[in-house]
Amino acid sequence: MNPFDWNVVWYAIPYLAAGAVVTLELSALGMLFGTTVGVVAGLLSLSDYRLLRGIVRAYVYFVRGTPALVQVFLVYFAMPQLGLELSAFWSGVVALSFNAGGFIAEIVRSGLQSIDAGQTEAAKSIGMTNRQAILFILLPQSLRRITPPLTNEVITLVKSSSLLSVISISELTRSAQAIIAAKFTPFELYAELAVFYLVIISILAKASEYIERRLA
Amino acid sequence: MTATGMMGPPLLRIRGLSKVFADIPVLDRVDLDVARGEVVMVIGPSGAGKSTLLRCINRIETPTTGEVVLDGINMAGTIRGGRLVSDSPSETARKRQRIGMVFQRFNLFAHLSALDNVAIGPHRVLRIARAEARNQAASHLDRVRLSAHMTKRPAQLSGGQQQRVAIARALAMSPTLMLFDEPTSALDPELVGEVLTVIRDLARDGMTMLVVTHEMTFARDVGTRLLFMDGGRVVEDRTPSAFFDQPESDRARAFLRRMNERQTVAAD
Repeated sequence: MNPFDWNVVWYAIPYLAAGAVVTLELSALGMLFGTTVGVVAGLLSLSDYRLLRGIVRAYVYFVRGTPALVQVFLVYFAMPQLGLELSAFWSGVVALSFNAGGFIAEIVRSGLQSIDAGQTEAAKSIGMTNRQAILFILLPQSLRRITPPLTNEVITLVKSSSLLSVISISELTRSAQAIIAAKFTPFELYAELAVFYLVIISILAKASEYIERRLA
Repeated sequence: MTATGMMGPPLLRIRGLSKVFADIPVLDRVDLDVARGEVVMVIGPSGAGKSTLLRCINRIETPTTGEVVLDGINMAGTIRGGRLVSDSPSETARKRQRIGMVFQRFNLFAHLSALDNVAIGPHRVLRIARAEARNQAASHLDRVRLSAHMTKRPAQLSGGQQQRVAIARALAMSPTLMLFDEPTSALDPELVGEVLTVIRDLARDGMTMLVVTHEMTFARDVGTRLLFMDGGRVVEDRTPSAFFDQPESDRARAFLRRMNERQTVAAD
């Protein structure tokens, strides 16, 4: 058995830090677009119009029913077929947003539906349309309930970004794999990689706790 | 045909209004004309269809069949080329502005202050500037004697105060008709009076209203007309004093006897 090689751990830090920056960029963009897509889709899932509700339901059905890894490959290989030449990085952002958007749509929908039906009836009784009732009455009240599952989803998104190593984006996981290929120290590097993810996610969890307290 | 005797076209005209839930007619072919200024008390056992009647009038519940016409405007659609074309959801919302509703469980918007509960309708629906809507809201809250509590959230108010905010919220839309769905049933007994006083004042000011209630003394004192409902139908439609002194139907007599027993037990 080989002894644990601390030298390679120190050696890898700057490379993994660079990868972590890419992971954070991917996650931040995925969060931004994924939340946008998810909130819009979640609101539309309560629309008066059956076609809109159907489109959202099909989208959520697809995202939930297929592995994230398959979605990453699909986006990466399908977009050029559709005439959209994106870099691997932006393909990755699209895949992450597409995936997170589906789950966030469900979070938003169930958050809106968890508000007492009397609130919607009262909104209607003063002449609000369905859209006004959702935007001015249901959405503000559901924000606090949406926050915990939403931060959960953000953490999932950061971890899912490791899947983007398969389309040759030099994010955190792929940076570690590159060093493993050169130095043959898988245990040290995967252990170090785990610590990097733990640190990132611990910071996120603290931030979300803070946000939840502010909303409470 | 009505107890009060009417002149001119009725403000509210209901014909053959039914609501069927899972093959059970909760509301069964109700016909009703209400003149401007009438205060119609609706009483009857639970499951009689009283709430469903109110909810079908403002279409929070979509009636299975039948017609509701308020001030000459059909609540379900528009006549075009001789036939009724169903309204879009937003058109229904627009027509609903003219009917105020007060719920048993208040249903105040939990995230808004008392003032904003009242102001949000005029601001968002009638598109009045926020500052102006708040000004008007303040005077509506004054009318229900709540000026001192304008900045409080619903959770900080008593049940009676919440219900008065809910009445102010409905009045802020300048409705032509008010619907009260058991407005005091969720209140502690000592808070019932303050809400009934506000409703009585509204009646005195000439507001047309339908009030579903279990407060028999209130129904008798404030109502100009009384409907007794049972099994989804209007069984009696008379003046309150005529009804309470001389109920015509067996079902009404049985109902009044049960209400009396309840009050006697409560008094012991």
